[in-house]
Amino acid sequence: MKKKRLLALLLCVMMVPCLMAGGSKEAGQAENGRVKIIYSFWGTPDEGAAVQGVADKFNASQDRIDVEIMAIPHDNYITKLNTMATARELPDCGIMSEAAVLQFAENGLLYDVSKMYDAGESKPLESLTFKYQGNPVAYSTANEILLLYYNKDMFDAAGVEYPPVNAEDAWTWDEFVETAKLLTLDARGNNAKSPNFDPNTVVQYGCMVENLTWQLEVWCLSNGSGFYNENGSKVTINDPASMEALQKIADLHLVHHVAPLSAGLTDDGVQRSLIAGTCAMTTNGQWNIGTCLASARDEGLNYGVAVLPYMKEVVTINTGGPNVVFSQTKHAAEAMEWIKWYSREENSWGLIETGIWMPILEKWYTDEEFTRKWAGNPNFPPYDEYKSAVVDFAVDYARPASWYYVNNTVDFNALLGSLLGEVWTGNKTAKEAITGSYDALVAAYNGNG
Amino acid sequence: MRIFPGGKTLKEAIRKAESRTAYLCLIPSIIGLVFITYLPLLSVFILGFFKFGKGAPTPVFVGLENYIRLFTSDPYFLDSIRVTVYFSVLAVIGSLIYSLFLAMLLNRKIPARGFFRAVFYLPYVLPAMAVYIGWSWLYESNFGLFNFILSSFGLDKVRFIADSHLVVPSLAVISVWLSGNLIVIFLAGLQNVPRVYHDAAEIDGANGWQRFRHVTIPCMTPIIFYNLLMALITNMQIVIPAIALTNGGPGNASCFLTYLMYRYAFISNQLGYACSISFVFFIIIAVFTAILFATSKSWIFYEGDAN
Amino acid sequence: MRENAAGFRGPSIRSRKRQEKIGNSATLIILILLGALVLLPIWWMFRSSLMTNAELYAYPPKFLPGRWLFGNYVSTMDYFPFWKYFKNTMTIIVPSVLGGTVTATLAGYAFARLKFRGKKFLFTLCVGSMLLPTMVTLVPLYILWTRGLHVVDSYLPLIFPHFCGGGAFNIFLIRQFVRTIPRELDEAATIDGAGHFRILVSIIIPSIKSAMIVVALLLFIMLWNDLLQQIIYINSLDKFTIALGLAQFKGSLGTDWTKIMCATCMSFVPGVIFYLIGQKYFVEGIVMTGMKN
Repeated sequence: MKKKRLLALLLCVMMVPCLMAGGSKEAGQAENGRVKIIYSFWGTPDEGAAVQGVADKFNASQDRIDVEIMAIPHDNYITKLNTMATARELPDCGIMSEAAVLQFAENGLLYDVSKMYDAGESKPLESLTFKYQGNPVAYSTANEILLLYYNKDMFDAAGVEYPPVNAEDAWTWDEFVETAKLLTLDARGNNAKSPNFDPNTVVQYGCMVENLTWQLEVWCLSNGSGFYNENGSKVTINDPASMEALQKIADLHLVHHVAPLSAGLTDDGVQRSLIAGTCAMTTNGQWNIGTCLASARDEGLNYGVAVLPYMKEVVTINTGGPNVVFSQTKHAAEAMEWIKWYSREENSWGLIETGIWMPILEKWYTDEEFTRKWAGNPNFPPYDEYKSAVVDFAVDYARPASWYYVNNTVDFNALLGSLLGEVWTGNKTAKEAITGSYDALVAAYNGNG
Repeated sequence: MRIFPGGKTLKEAIRKAESRTAYLCLIPSIIGLVFITYLPLLSVFILGFFKFGKGAPTPVFVGLENYIRLFTSDPYFLDSIRVTVYFSVLAVIGSLIYSLFLAMLLNRKIPARGFFRAVFYLPYVLPAMAVYIGWSWLYESNFGLFNFILSSFGLDKVRFIADSHLVVPSLAVISVWLSGNLIVIFLAGLQNVPRVYHDAAEIDGANGWQRFRHVTIPCMTPIIFYNLLMALITNMQIVIPAIALTNGGPGNASCFLTYLMYRYAFISNQLGYACSISFVFFIIIAVFTAILFATSKSWIFYEGDAN
Repeated sequence: MRENAAGFRGPSIRSRKRQEKIGNSATLIILILLGALVLLPIWWMFRSSLMTNAELYAYPPKFLPGRWLFGNYVSTMDYFPFWKYFKNTMTIIVPSVLGGTVTATLAGYAFARLKFRGKKFLFTLCVGSMLLPTMVTLVPLYILWTRGLHVVDSYLPLIFPHFCGGGAFNIFLIRQFVRTIPRELDEAATIDGAGHFRILVSIIIPSIKSAMIVVALLLFIMLWNDLLQQIIYINSLDKFTIALGLAQFKGSLGTDWTKIMCATCMSFVPGVIFYLIGQKYFVEGIVMTGMKN
């Protein structure tokens, strides 16, 4: 009997906090009467140093709040936050992976930030607001769009004209493929249009369209459809137009032999293609200018930027990780103050100036003086190219990626990525892969996948 | 028979002293088993009947719903079982043969023996994430080293981890490469093969193979069993290549059960559902282990237990 | 006895020696070829640490870096405070390895040699605990430590479990090794009046020294690379370990592979050193006392 009671007691010790997870943690209070808040972030050691610098500056600028940094390796960021959320041990605020924002909001883990900006204040772009059931739950700290990068030397060597920088002149998909053929070379120097071309010995591919799942959305949009319908209330990945777009990406390798086989798994596409010198063109996010292309240019890479080719509509998608306030905090007001302060361009200037982040306020895009201040420095490609192919493209043609307004994109994208794995290698067509698992995709979208 | 105080026989007293010693030796392990393994495991088992995590910040009892979903509508689960078993079989057989073979070679009196032992052990020391990244460069489908070598011999390129038919064998090769720990354990075991047996067999004129077959192998069976079990369990629990390299793809071709668990629990935050997978995984791996133990009696030879 | 045998069968011994020589040469050749294959991926990582990022992906692939950029290591050290991380990691590893090896030896010995009630049951529980990966119980344990015991941002949750048997794998390993030791040895000692602990210390432990070193080695490597648990339990940058430091190089928007490879190449050196030290003990061969006669 006694043993049984002991066992029950032990069980309670384990289970009660686990299942009921009630209560809240103690409020952080620094010794000097200042409120201590913890801000979690991911990033490489140098990004960490930069964030620490900003926090120090903030701590010195006022005498009520102390921001402390919690560094979490990027690939495990959500792993740790999910665990902390379950244990109700979340930090006060932190940066957040786009795909998980609405998932956190759904569980009531995000603090309502709709009052963070007063009516008169300059707010971030509307397209950078994450909305759960119509309410803003987070604002991106940076803007990013997808664009086309290319190697100028390879174009010169093949005697091909550079890709267009104006969205009005954007290539159609066929023009893009034809150009890529001219730039694909086998070991004997034949291009993909030559009858002697041997696809098994290619040494230089014409293009690589990044096929990370979330980036593929842009091609479905471009073909007049999308992963979801316009307001995100329905899955439209099985639209003929969506499936056709995905098939066209796969066909670059399978049919036209102008792109390498890419499994859509790693985020180093620009390094693998453009910087490695194995591809003449590649699509990817704007951040690459700062994270890897600037140093590659110092080592001799002569690259340019251009607008994406299109299938039916000229379009790109924008995204950007938001800073959020977690609802488990005791210091929501202080956390919002810090995040608001941190989001001001001058406080993340280092990241903007190097080309890693694009600003979030409209004036930087529309006011030439601000644009020049931001992109008129040698970290960037020539100003006119960048202004037209990136800044104007972002203002006029960018649509928010679906995770700004659709929940469960983590599971949806994981499943879609897994299905498409068989499409890239040609084991299945996009139509077979998607229609065969459409129910599972819908289940994932509904949060049951 | 002498009677000890308390009316016990000598035999009983000895037995009592023996079990007292045993319990004393086992106290730390029992604490560990209770608090670090089984109580948490019990809570995991119970959580398997709840919806908890995404969409349910506090647990909601759903009965068998998680299990029903697992076996009827989950797009990964059944493939996942198949892939895990397939991978384990390849990796276990491969790494046991590889490590026993190498341990035998490395046990010979050859020059630079210490160096060679270190070489084959080295892969095991490397941080797992980096290992898989390094291999991904070798395996890369277009411009990787292996494909460069193949195409310079005029052969067709092989897609290794990008091809759903090749990804499991390709990952199993890495697993075999990583089995330096098995080599070390075999080596340690070889030291414990009593010299006298070898000497006796040698005097009887047994050749190398016969000595291996009739002396080394029987004496090594407890260690072989251990390595077999260890390889089986660690390979069934394989997760890092899927996290670092394949995301479970292409298709579900490398969606190992533990990876599925990881993804549901930590990425998509469906804890309750992930707990139900853990339980099914536990059953599967327990069945394999039980089979292994059941057959072990017929082929393991314990020197210390022999009379 | 051996001399006698040699006296009788002189020529065959000589031929056996020649045979052994041939065998050794064959062994050596196989080992060199296999060794080169095994080292290839490691070489690939090492050469990548000395390249620029562009060179690393270049086609055709380069076996040797164009310029040997040893400076990569210097610049990596700016972001990867090796010694600090090393110290932190050792703070976890030293007590864990000691605690794990000792408690695993005790438990393994009990399971292999002693008779007691509930042995089978306990052993089954022990084997059962190996079956699931640590990630399964990670969340309940994290909740226990943080909310139950208020241990946050501490090494304790990483160290403590190793004082509880050092993991079933290791208990099992010790048990297997103890069972290869002939029982006559401890029976002889029992007759001499030695208690169980005396037998453990004076007979069993000397005989399974090699296994204990293997256990220590396995624990060391496991802890060295145990990323998932360290990620969950360690919060502050000051407490970061080698594994966490390595993981941090994978950024949100891109990854500097040369730096990762530099850090990787640095980080596995301690493991190799520990192996080389341990190797001395089990390479020399443990001559089992009392076995000669």
